[in-house]
Amino acid sequence: MGIAEERVVAVIMVGGPTKGTRFRPLSLNIPKPLFPLAGQPMVHHPISACKRIPNLAQIYLIGFYEERDFALYTSSISNELKVPVRYLKEDKPHGSAGGVYNFRDLIMEENTSHIFLLNCDVCCSFPLPEMLDAHKKYGGMGTILVVKVSAETAHEFGELVADPITNELLHYTEKPETFVSDRINCGVYIFTPDVFTAIQGVSSQRKDRANLRRVSSFEAMQPDTRSLPSDFVRLDQDILSPLAGKKQLYVYETKDFWEQIKTPGMSLKCSSLYLAQFRHTSPHLLAKGDGTSGASISGDVYIHPSAKVHPSAKVGPNVSISANARVGAGARLISCIILDGVEIKENAVVIHAIVGWKSSIGKWARVQASGDYNAKLGVTILGESVTVEDEVVVVNSIVLPHKTLNVNVQDEILL
Amino acid sequence: MKALILVGGFGTRLRPLTLSVPKPLVDFANKPMILHQIEALKAIGVDEVVLAINYQPEVMLNFLKEYEAKLGIKITCSQETEPLGTAGPLALARDKLLDGSGEPFFVLNSDVISEYPLKEMVEFHKSHGGEASIMVTKVDEPSKYGVVVTEEATGKVEKFVEKPKLFVGNKINAGIYLLSPSVLDRIELRPTSIEKEVFPKIAAEQKLFAMVLPGFWMDIGQPRDYITGLRLYLDSLKKKSSSKLATGPHIVGNVIVDETAKIGEGCLIGPDVAIGPGCIVESGVRLSRCTVMRGVRIKKHACISSSIIGWHSTVGQWARVENMTILGEDVHVCDEIYSNGGVVLPHKEIKSSIWKPEIVM
Repeated sequence: MGIAEERVVAVIMVGGPTKGTRFRPLSLNIPKPLFPLAGQPMVHHPISACKRIPNLAQIYLIGFYEERDFALYTSSISNELKVPVRYLKEDKPHGSAGGVYNFRDLIMEENTSHIFLLNCDVCCSFPLPEMLDAHKKYGGMGTILVVKVSAETAHEFGELVADPITNELLHYTEKPETFVSDRINCGVYIFTPDVFTAIQGVSSQRKDRANLRRVSSFEAMQPDTRSLPSDFVRLDQDILSPLAGKKQLYVYETKDFWEQIKTPGMSLKCSSLYLAQFRHTSPHLLAKGDGTSGASISGDVYIHPSAKVHPSAKVGPNVSISANARVGAGARLISCIILDGVEIKENAVVIHAIVGWKSSIGKWARVQASGDYNAKLGVTILGESVTVEDEVVVVNSIVLPHKTLNVNVQDEILL
Repeated sequence: MKALILVGGFGTRLRPLTLSVPKPLVDFANKPMILHQIEALKAIGVDEVVLAINYQPEVMLNFLKEYEAKLGIKITCSQETEPLGTAGPLALARDKLLDGSGEPFFVLNSDVISEYPLKEMVEFHKSHGGEASIMVTKVDEPSKYGVVVTEEATGKVEKFVEKPKLFVGNKINAGIYLLSPSVLDRIELRPTSIEKEVFPKIAAEQKLFAMVLPGFWMDIGQPRDYITGLRLYLDSLKKKSSSKLATGPHIVGNVIVDETAKIGEGCLIGPDVAIGPGCIVESGVRLSRCTVMRGVRIKKHACISSSIIGWHSTVGQWARVENMTILGEDVHVCDEIYSNGGVVLPHKEIKSSIWKPEIVM
């Protein structure tokens, strides 16, 4: 086989149902990776970015969700991309690096030359071919996508320092207490297969230490010093930190948008970022209209072909409307995600909100929030099958599934 | 017959509306508050109304000139240079009220809205032969007011109890009096209270009688009571002359719409709404429990409830205005804005939502 015979495999870490708790109440109904942003499942955005990788052989999704949760999605996306996409369920938590290592035989099956590793809960432009080129130029074992953030927020992420000339990773620290750097780890990596050797190294060190410890039963009983299972290997603390400054890891800095999608509020922001990206990548997905034949559209809007929006309604900017939703005459939608089967009745207003599956918003009702994506109640969230009766106002609130609201609510979480 | 209307001062409780006009000229149910009283007085044959006023008399008189001719009633002003309380203004207007006929005269409080059964009051006054008649109204919480204790059979007033802690009765002074001219001899020209100083003396002489006001009564001196007052007024209007109420598939409950106002398609208006002259209500608008004053424009799909929209204001498309929002004159609420209890002074543009009740200077 020649050098031209490169085979690239992409691995997307999707997490599990016990992980996305901050995404409630939306994650009560759907695995978080399948929650739609800009009308497409969250995981669809990194997957479609993978399309641009030359010689892409296979995409694996790794997580703790049940296989059936992803079966429908993986089969349809495999057909669409003409690249096999397969979901692999972890039997138990192995850590971010351990999880990939656990499936190393499958990943290497394709005679793989490079492995992309992507976290599902980040929102960015995924400049993967550019990363691949940079990685080959650096000649290391791995390259990390990094982004510059404000010094105030950097501590929430993995902070890192790189050589400004060579781009070599010099120092890496996860969520430090003091400021180290305003460059952070984006959760998007490319590795050569050598990474498996590194993970195995951490794993066998752990085993050795565990064997030593068995000597002292007292120490083994102390929870603080209890060692992690030998096959549990974290990417950040166990691989990136120790290998920093050893000419094995490099960084590629993106100047594009980057956000982490932890909360429902952030999903609304990320939806807007992906909608804006569609202007360049998928303009056909953006709705158009001036109120003559269809609804008036302002800014970036996605409307599923099966959704019905009355011509006298006004929609946008930053709105995505999912399948079978109905938007009545004179309704107004701004900065919101309208999920499947929702009904918005005449003259209702929805601003800075996520309206859950099959919910109903009454005539002249108003569902709104301040739009502060970082505030706990900055985006109003209605869970599945919530009914807001005619003329009722819901402001800065989170409503769990199957509630009926017949009086105004403000700044509340309704169980 | 003559009448004195106690207009009083700045009407601070009804700001921001009273920043634009004196309180008696603030519209209520599509006409200035004071016209409700003047029309009722005219209807039973009062030929001269004296306004006891201590603020902006020119504005009042200029405005009322038009109605002098229209109603055929003389309207004059008695201006206090210092506040004279509730009785002092009677002494000040003494010469205007005394015409030698010996007939009793009315004294009305301008903040009060009711059915004005003035004809019955004249008969009541004649029948008891006392010096003064006062109208009383039953309230749920008498401890907030001055309670009038009367002899059940005759209506003779026994005593006045100001804000009683223990229940002594549920009838309170409704601010509508019919007084014989001799009462004026009891009042000195100084700041003094009719309830506390004049009436108790007349009552002590067994010459004060109280008549229970049939129908509704409301002091509409502040916004919340103004909105409640409109509901009571429209209820009463429905019983008396329901032809004045609007009808149609887009109307629910009691609604009055000035004939020069325009209402678009797909609106739902009511209950308890007054829409003033020259207003434009565009299509898809929802209005309930609110007053929309002269020259206001409500743009498409807006929704307004429990609020007062001052003269020549506009409410933008898809705006939501509710919960005792009071817009002063010429206020502009931009498209898609939410106002929860915003009290907005005149000539403002509201560009960001008002989430909690607050005053916008």
